[in-house]
Amino acid sequence: MPKTVCTFFILLLSFCLFACNSEENPVKVSLDKRQEIISRPQPPALTYAYLPQYSHSESFKRHQRLIEYLAEQTGLSIRQVFPDTFADHITMFGEGKIDISFSNPFIYVKLANRYGARAITRIIEANGNAEFRGQIIARKDNAAIQTIEDCRGKSWVAVDPTSAGGYLFPLGLFVEHGLGLRDFKEVVFSGGRQENVILGVYAGLHDLGSVREGALRVVEDKIDINQIKVVANSKSYPGWVYAYSPKIPEEVVVKIREAMLRLDYANNPEHRKILDTARFIGFVSSSDSDFDPIRDLSKKVGLGLE
Amino acid sequence: MNSFLLRLLRSLRFKTKITLGVAVMLIVCGTGIGLILSAMSATALLEEGKKRGQALASGLAFRLAEPLLATDLLQMKNLIDNVHNQYEDIIYIFLIDTNQNVLAHTFSGGFPVDLLQVNLDNRKAQPWLLSTERGPVYDFNVTIALNEKYLGVVRLGLSRSNLDAQIRKQKTISLITTLAIVSLGIVLALWFASTITYRLNRLRKSAEEIVMGNLDVQAGFSLEKNCWEIMDCGRKECPAHGDARRRCWYLTGTLCPNCSVKEYPLKVENCLACPVYRYNFGDELQDLADAFDVMAITVKRQIEELTERESTIREQQALLKTVMDVTPDFITLQDKNLRYTFAGRAFCEYFNLREEDVTGKTDFDLFATEQARRNSREDKQILATGQPLDKEITFKRADGQRWFHVVKVPVYGQDSTIIGLLLTARDISVMKKMQEQLIQAQKMEGLGRLAGGVAHEINTPLGVILGYSQLMMDDIEDEELLENLKIIEKQTKVCRKIVADLLGFSRHTHSIRESVDVNESIREVITLVGHAFSLNHISICHALDDGIPPLFCDKEQMKQVWLNLLNNAADAIGQDGVIFVKSKRDDEKNTAIFSIADTGGGIGKEHLDKIFDPFFTTKQVGKGTGLGLSVSFGIIKDHGGTLSVLSPIPEEYQIEAISQAEHHGPGAVFVVALPLPVAEQTVH
Repeated sequence: MPKTVCTFFILLLSFCLFACNSEENPVKVSLDKRQEIISRPQPPALTYAYLPQYSHSESFKRHQRLIEYLAEQTGLSIRQVFPDTFADHITMFGEGKIDISFSNPFIYVKLANRYGARAITRIIEANGNAEFRGQIIARKDNAAIQTIEDCRGKSWVAVDPTSAGGYLFPLGLFVEHGLGLRDFKEVVFSGGRQENVILGVYAGLHDLGSVREGALRVVEDKIDINQIKVVANSKSYPGWVYAYSPKIPEEVVVKIREAMLRLDYANNPEHRKILDTARFIGFVSSSDSDFDPIRDLSKKVGLGLE
Repeated sequence: MNSFLLRLLRSLRFKTKITLGVAVMLIVCGTGIGLILSAMSATALLEEGKKRGQALASGLAFRLAEPLLATDLLQMKNLIDNVHNQYEDIIYIFLIDTNQNVLAHTFSGGFPVDLLQVNLDNRKAQPWLLSTERGPVYDFNVTIALNEKYLGVVRLGLSRSNLDAQIRKQKTISLITTLAIVSLGIVLALWFASTITYRLNRLRKSAEEIVMGNLDVQAGFSLEKNCWEIMDCGRKECPAHGDARRRCWYLTGTLCPNCSVKEYPLKVENCLACPVYRYNFGDELQDLADAFDVMAITVKRQIEELTERESTIREQQALLKTVMDVTPDFITLQDKNLRYTFAGRAFCEYFNLREEDVTGKTDFDLFATEQARRNSREDKQILATGQPLDKEITFKRADGQRWFHVVKVPVYGQDSTIIGLLLTARDISVMKKMQEQLIQAQKMEGLGRLAGGVAHEINTPLGVILGYSQLMMDDIEDEELLENLKIIEKQTKVCRKIVADLLGFSRHTHSIRESVDVNESIREVITLVGHAFSLNHISICHALDDGIPPLFCDKEQMKQVWLNLLNNAADAIGQDGVIFVKSKRDDEKNTAIFSIADTGGGIGKEHLDKIFDPFFTTKQVGKGTGLGLSVSFGIIKDHGGTLSVLSPIPEEYQIEAISQAEHHGPGAVFVVALPLPVAEQTVH
């Protein structure tokens, strides 16, 4: 019996000692040994920018693979840059900070008109079209808005004054139905974010909103998109476009275009992965004239393209 | 040392032992658990601190992705400054891009480049513990990545001093809590020990009280509710009703419907479902106390019964002893070895022994050898045969011959074997004497009847002989013949006197009763014999009570009685003496007492009983017939009185003359008591 008691106490003591013994070995580091440091300059590379209709992270996630593919295929060093707004995008392109621009046709027209940008390719949307539409949306339970005419006197939230699907195309639709900007109670912009337009309508902050076709799917994991109805769709216009700065040599443009056109969504799993991440399924070659309908629309709604 | 500790432990009080045991256990367990919990919580706190640092760094890394992509240095600086300023224990934060450029940091006045040499690979366990001038610091390395694309690294330095302070604080709280719990435990143990030892002490005190002889104890506690209150039965005939000191399940014959008729503990099986049992049932100590109380009450009752029985036995013993002592019979008890185990007082007094001298002794120790041997032989025979012995024995002692009726019976034990011998002996001397007297009286009565018959038949021929002899004397002149005839006449007269006495004895004479002054008759007789007595120098004194009324009696017979008694007195004196005659009226007994005392030689004790027998005489042959006193006895008896004799003379019958007489013997006094006439009798 005393033996058992002794064993018990020894075990208990050992356990206590082990429990207490959790010391770590620190690495000696001096915080007082200071030094001024200078950043190393970034290596030269082609700059690639995606019109910031989503957050930088989203833009990065969508295009990183494609950029890596293009770099690999062309042997060029390509780096993605992130303008904060649509205006920044235009400005940076003008400043030569963006060599390859991926933008909506409305911005492209502006870039082409202002800075001599030229189209390389257009993307093929997931629905198989190289064109896209704008959509007027409202809450499904908002009985007051059933037709375009019902939007008169209502609060309208659009993506950005330079957005094609999110502003220009729906504005063209409104103009066609006889509604000018003055016919709305208010017209506000969501800072270039499609998601903010949808969320603003969903939350009831605005009576109607305008987004590009397909934007609703982006937020289907955030809200119940069944609560949103599409009041009307605009006509189809040429879709998003890759353009290049006139300072880039032609052979580089050719390499890039070829690399883009080589992507085979249907047959190459690697390519499919790249294109799925970028949220489109392929490229078609494009030229500046493809975007004349946009120029016409701008004129019709009274928006300057300079 | 061990034995000292054992001795010390043994000498401790039970309460102290329990408290000490529980205290040691609590201290050991409390300290052990306290240490373990303290270590565990210290580890948990440390882990929590690390997780917090990791979470802060990860959150910051997430938020830094956008400005990093946009190369928005201001935004980066703002973000890391915001976190750095928000928490005091964050020592530093800095951000490194893919080109190992430090894009932003929280240091002012240069950057500690040492930090760029350590914790570069975040695949290693995070954080690293750095020892700096500002104390130990946890360095967290968190990668900023999008789609697994590495964008940069956030490094965050979290001071461990704060964590250590928290751990110390927590350890202190643990220690204090442990101490408080242990102290509370000790207090509870003390209370617990007190509760137990209080009840044990009650038991001990009760036991001590019982040892001291006080059985009226109560070790258990009074019940809050008694069984009759719980059951509300109102059955006062139940043995448990009103008995507040015992639990009902200890009692037999309780009257609840579910109660078993068995005794405790067999009946308890039925009690388990009883509401009374469930309400009043206690722990083992209460059980013990209850059982103890029941035991005390049972023992007390048994002792009371025993005391009562003992008292009864003692009373019966005393009664038996009294009976044994008071009875005039001899009673002894002997064991089978013939040793006396008991001897009655009569036996002891007769043999002039004390009871303690007799007890344990045998006949050989008490009596002469021959007697003892005889007794022993008899006793052994009785013990052997079981036949009782019944006999009468006689022996002579200084105060005369004694008769005893002896019975010896065997005494049987519970196993029907003879265990002793009981002797009873009764002194039947008086009875024997009475028997002798009865035989004598019957003899005398027969003799008297015979004598009367004979005398009556002889009286007539005697008259004829006397008449004819007197006639012949008138006719005969021859002197010789006349002389012979005179002899015949004289002897015939003697015979007639004897016949007359015999007739008197057998009361065949006719008596004439009349009112007689008895004193006068006495005086006449004294006058008659006075002269003759004086010749022998015998004087007669008398003191006669004139208050005695005339009695209804035969004067001649009374005079004969006085004459007989006076002659008897004179014969007893012989020469020179005094006779004192006294009469007295005794109103107490309504009698007249007449006494005739003399100064003669007195009467021997052995003759006192026979002196009134006919023909009994101590006189010389020819001097008396032995009929005088018996005739007197018969006359007085016929008159409804008594004649008795006392010798020597008691004080009340003496006068100075007697005591001063020249030849003064013990003397004797004859007392005649005659009843007073009815008219004179006093009613008491």
